[in-house]
Amino acid sequence: MPATQKPVRYGHTEGHTDVCFDDSGSCIVTCGSDGDVRIWEDLDDDDPKSINVGEKAYSCALKNGKLVTAVSNNTVQVHTFPEGVPDGILTRFTTNANHVIFNGDGTKIAAGSSDFLVKIVDVVDCSQQKTFRGHDAPVLSLSFDPKDIFLASASCDGSVRVWHIPDQTCAISWPLLQKCNDVVNAKSICRLAWQPKSGKLLAIPVEKSVKLYRRETWSNQFDLSDSFISQEKNVTMLKTGLLKEEEEDDQAGSSHNLPLVTSQRPFYDGPMPTPRQKPFQSGSTPLHLTHRFMVWNSIGIIRCYNDEQDNAIDVEFHDTSIHHATHLSNSLNYTVADLSHEAILLASESTDELASKLHCLHFSSWDSSKEWMVDMPQHEDIEAICLGQGWAAAATSALLLRLFSIGGVQKEIFSLPGPVVSMAGHGEQLLIVFHRGRIFSQFYNLTSTPCYVDSEGCVRMLNRAFGNTWTPVCNTREHCKGKSDHYWVVGIHEHPQQLRCIPCKGSRFPPTLPRPAVAILSFKLPYCQIATEKGQMEEQFWRSVIFHNHLDYLAKNGYEYLSCKLEREFRCVELAELMTQHAVNLAVKYASRSRKLILAQKLSELAVEKASELAATQAEEEEVEEEDFRKKLSAGYSNAATEWDQPRLRNQTEEDTESRKEADDTQKTPELHEHGQNSGSTDTFDVPAIKSGAVTSSNQGRINPFKVSASSKEPAMSVNSTRSTNILDTMNKSSKKSTAFNRATNNEKSPVIKPLIPKPKSKQASAASFFQKRPCQVEKTEEVKEENPKNASSEAPVLCPQNVENQRPKTGFQMWLEENRSNILSDNPDFSEEADIIKEGMIRFRALSTEERKAWTNKAK
Amino acid sequence: MDAAEVEFLAEKELVTIIPNFSLDKIYLIGGDLGPFNPGLPVDVPLWLAVNLKQRQKCRVLPPAWMDVEKLEQLRDHERKEETFTPVPSPYYMELTKLLLNHASDNIPKADAIRTLIKDLWDTRMAKLRVSADSFVQQQEAHAKLDNLTLMEINTSGAFLTQALNHMYKLRTNLLQPAESAQSQDF
Repeated sequence: MPATQKPVRYGHTEGHTDVCFDDSGSCIVTCGSDGDVRIWEDLDDDDPKSINVGEKAYSCALKNGKLVTAVSNNTVQVHTFPEGVPDGILTRFTTNANHVIFNGDGTKIAAGSSDFLVKIVDVVDCSQQKTFRGHDAPVLSLSFDPKDIFLASASCDGSVRVWHIPDQTCAISWPLLQKCNDVVNAKSICRLAWQPKSGKLLAIPVEKSVKLYRRETWSNQFDLSDSFISQEKNVTMLKTGLLKEEEEDDQAGSSHNLPLVTSQRPFYDGPMPTPRQKPFQSGSTPLHLTHRFMVWNSIGIIRCYNDEQDNAIDVEFHDTSIHHATHLSNSLNYTVADLSHEAILLASESTDELASKLHCLHFSSWDSSKEWMVDMPQHEDIEAICLGQGWAAAATSALLLRLFSIGGVQKEIFSLPGPVVSMAGHGEQLLIVFHRGRIFSQFYNLTSTPCYVDSEGCVRMLNRAFGNTWTPVCNTREHCKGKSDHYWVVGIHEHPQQLRCIPCKGSRFPPTLPRPAVAILSFKLPYCQIATEKGQMEEQFWRSVIFHNHLDYLAKNGYEYLSCKLEREFRCVELAELMTQHAVNLAVKYASRSRKLILAQKLSELAVEKASELAATQAEEEEVEEEDFRKKLSAGYSNAATEWDQPRLRNQTEEDTESRKEADDTQKTPELHEHGQNSGSTDTFDVPAIKSGAVTSSNQGRINPFKVSASSKEPAMSVNSTRSTNILDTMNKSSKKSTAFNRATNNEKSPVIKPLIPKPKSKQASAASFFQKRPCQVEKTEEVKEENPKNASSEAPVLCPQNVENQRPKTGFQMWLEENRSNILSDNPDFSEEADIIKEGMIRFRALSTEERKAWTNKAK
Repeated sequence: MDAAEVEFLAEKELVTIIPNFSLDKIYLIGGDLGPFNPGLPVDVPLWLAVNLKQRQKCRVLPPAWMDVEKLEQLRDHERKEETFTPVPSPYYMELTKLLLNHASDNIPKADAIRTLIKDLWDTRMAKLRVSADSFVQQQEAHAKLDNLTLMEINTSGAFLTQALNHMYKLRTNLLQPAESAQSQDF
């Protein structure tokens, strides 16, 4: 047991206090000047039992279920323990007693009072009293010899006396202490102690040391002192700890500075096995609190009140558009809860009559019955629960994990290898922590990557790429101001890399009132030399590697940037060799911008090499083109995701996204498909597209993401030699011409459009006008126009609402085509015939998976 | 400038709110705001905070200085010092007024804070009056006043300058009564 000191807490109002343990050592009993005796389960007990014994309590002693107190009406009373029923008065003094103690077997008590007397009273028969006279001042403290022969007493007159009990005589008296006139003026209350069992030594605290005297001879055996002890006041507080400690091992010489808490140490002194950690719920505060958070996560808060007047659960959503706040009565005593954007899940432990229950409020359900409840089999308690997307899970004490659908259908059931510690769910993933060797302390998972927080405040995240190891990403203790401050982590978000937590001043958990505010910490990997720019860049790079595989590509840009900055051009080229073709292009641009011409040259050579390799792999043009489309989307994504990156780099990405045609390596493709899945929007492509538009506009002003900007294309061409072979180069002019021509015709044909378009006409408008020539105008024109308002919603002012009136397209393909028309156009600006576009669109649409096609068809309906 | 205008200026001050809706970044002439994530604190100008609060779209987090202990210290310090002490915010009065009027349910011990800010304000105004009085009586040409907020200057500034103008006129008349009397005789 390490000699750690827990933070001090207040048990009574200001004034004199006394403390003792009960016989079993299971609780702490204190008394104080507020006249209460309090029974504490442990130091963290927030709801101690109070027994009022009088106006003021000076001292208390506890043995064999009897609680003896010295109170201000000058009596020594007995109460039963733990009930606290008064059980008579043992003795009276003319003033109050200062110290009462039991002897070893609990048959007698000794009391020393301010009227200079010491009395020994039989507990059963209070008529049998022995009085010891001899002190010339109030008695401070007493100590029974374990063999019941001697009684030691200390007094304000400065003397410490040892009394022979049977003879009622004073065996010896030492003038050891400082004299004073009253107990309140005494510098030390001078608690004495005999060596337990044998009683061979008597220990007396004197100023800054402890004097030990031998029994019978009463000679000073040795002194204990320590330079740590600087104040006399301190000494008295530490005395009992010191004595017990010393006398237990009967070792002389070494002195341990132990706090009061450890004074009654267990006799076993070796390392103790850590008790098994109880199961807990992520984002909850401890169960024993009357007002506690059952859950605080990214969706909302569940609070539980459990006091005399109210036993209720409050559910509150951060986003009120998910659901309104609700108030439930907690008649079934739910102890654990979880919250998702679909449902509230509650579970209770079993009682004698009632089985353990799982209760689900499925508020997002579209039918009228919004809740369901499941009873667990007998003797099976729910220990941890969690919610995912469309499922709920409960781990029970029978080492079973039960899965339910969100509607309440029982699904898979399987057994766990050990007692559960915690569970966390996200989407389709479920993470279970159970006991095996290592003990986790706290656990949270609010993203797709598992992560946990230990009791030291260190946040770790699973590094899937590096053999599923845990990487520390943030140490919340570093952010704390005070020593006893903590951060209570409520969520982790990868997207803008954030750790959401609640700062708690002087505690581990936040109170429910006043409502705490969330703080945001950024992630920081513990890398060396973080003060230097190199260290920072390295940290940034690896952090992004961990945080998302799909950030990989931008991270490399980050690395590139790093090496440029460091003027290590060779290293940069090395890095570039590792990069994908696309990243190399970016690198070339960056290098040329930062006037590193040699580097730019080297890199472009490398780019040519890579591109020629690629050219061989380009078997089918159409396929690649489709990839290209997805890349566009994902590029928009990664932009949105990496706010930490340099804005300049982002700009480049934008430009490049637009100028890029099909010169990318195939290796990237699987990764990109993954992104689509991550986003959970594989079939609704317009969502990410709009997002990318939003980012664009923040950087470059407002630009249509679908627009092919010819100006940005040209410089890119000059850098990338492979593109010179591309037909697009030569086609640029002619396509522009046709655009102009089309616009003219467009204006003639449909005058409605004209007045709404401001002068800086976007290419979008001209692109739209491509279709005006087609023969089958009515239906198709409408389609094109419907696309425009869609874009307009993402970047409003630029695009003109040129729709005449909207008519729903009829088939899935038409819808798809309408979404992707601009892509086809941007890829093939030479398509001026609608037939060509449709043809190209057909090819692409066929390349989509059957599911996606189905989704589109459904949409059309 | 009247008080409403000063308040209008104060509404540009940033305060932290916890929105209960989600919204992407919004782009305004004065700068970008957001993104708004439910449950996550975000800094917005006071005018937006008050507006959102009125529509029950957010909770307002009181500024760090809007705390009973800190304000008590400030008030005591203000009372002890002869001169004006630095205030926690250049718009402390306007911020307190607006926040307490519209978001008092989000501010712990709102009443105590209101009283403390009023005390602070009264102390400062008293100092201002006293110094203006001695300025006039001693017929000083200039005085230095540090740590005054716009609102405080605004309460007495216009009046004081006008009053000084008048006094100047009266005094110049006193010095040359004869000349003016003569001129009137004509």
